[in-house]
Amino acid sequence: MRDAQGFVSQTTACNEVSDLVGLKAHQQAWESFAACAVSMIPVLKKQMEAVTQQTQRAATDLMTHISALTLQEAPSRSTETSARLSQIVMAMQFQDITQQKLEHVAQALDQWDKHLQALLKGPQDENAKQEIATLEQLEQSYTMEEERRLHVATLAPDYQEPVPIDTEQTEAESDSVTLF
Amino acid sequence: MSKTALVVDDSPTMRQMVAFTLTNAGFNVVEAEHGKDAVNKVIAGPKMDIVVTDLNMPEMDGIGLIKELRKMAAFKFTPILMLTTESAIEKKQAGKEAGATGWIVKPFNPEVMLKIIAKVLPA
Repeated sequence: MRDAQGFVSQTTACNEVSDLVGLKAHQQAWESFAACAVSMIPVLKKQMEAVTQQTQRAATDLMTHISALTLQEAPSRSTETSARLSQIVMAMQFQDITQQKLEHVAQALDQWDKHLQALLKGPQDENAKQEIATLEQLEQSYTMEEERRLHVATLAPDYQEPVPIDTEQTEAESDSVTLF
Repeated sequence: MSKTALVVDDSPTMRQMVAFTLTNAGFNVVEAEHGKDAVNKVIAGPKMDIVVTDLNMPEMDGIGLIKELRKMAAFKFTPILMLTTESAIEKKQAGKEAGATGWIVKPFNPEVMLKIIAKVLPA
């Protein structure tokens, strides 16, 4: 027969064991997630690199064909044709811009990978803290105003799809040239 | 006589587009993949009338390239345009301090680029 005190102690011990089992399961779940993420990050990066290479090949081919079609008639080209060619060249730059954006995402994935690997080795040490600090400074790796704006907008609590688009063309053009 | 432009960018498609724009306007174009490649090409190659360079490149970036070129007597007064996706004011300031003549943010409009070049090229 147990007294009230003994019953309470036993209940507390049971709760502690249950908490420990829960924590262990939680830790195992995190470790599985981290291990999976560490193995998947290089795959995601390769997928992005493949997209970049394919679009680069396509853009290069297109420019080669456009050059071949238009170079001979350059001196006699009409104003309208010149304007249309300018629009084509502007539009074709999507490849370089997309490539740079994907490279910045890849850099962030690298940091994430390093941080997860450091966490998998044990409690958060100085290395892991440094990696997460670098990840938090992701914004500094951006080169485009559009990337910075999207980053800030996505972190905002009231963020909603669709993704914010670039500023009006007129504003973008007025800021695009600076002579010193 | 045609003028010669040096186009420096690590992206082959960007080099191709700038070269297309300048060739159509009557320039001879020399291409380089990064700053170091550009320095080697100007040492060995023809006199350049204008330089159009990217900012972020491996080996030597655009700012490093401008500093190297400005040390050379032949490039003391040559117009150098930075062509980059970077639009941050502090980066532009760094470009100006290194000796850039102007800063064009990508994507560039070929007609605007040619107008800028006409403005900065000595008559």
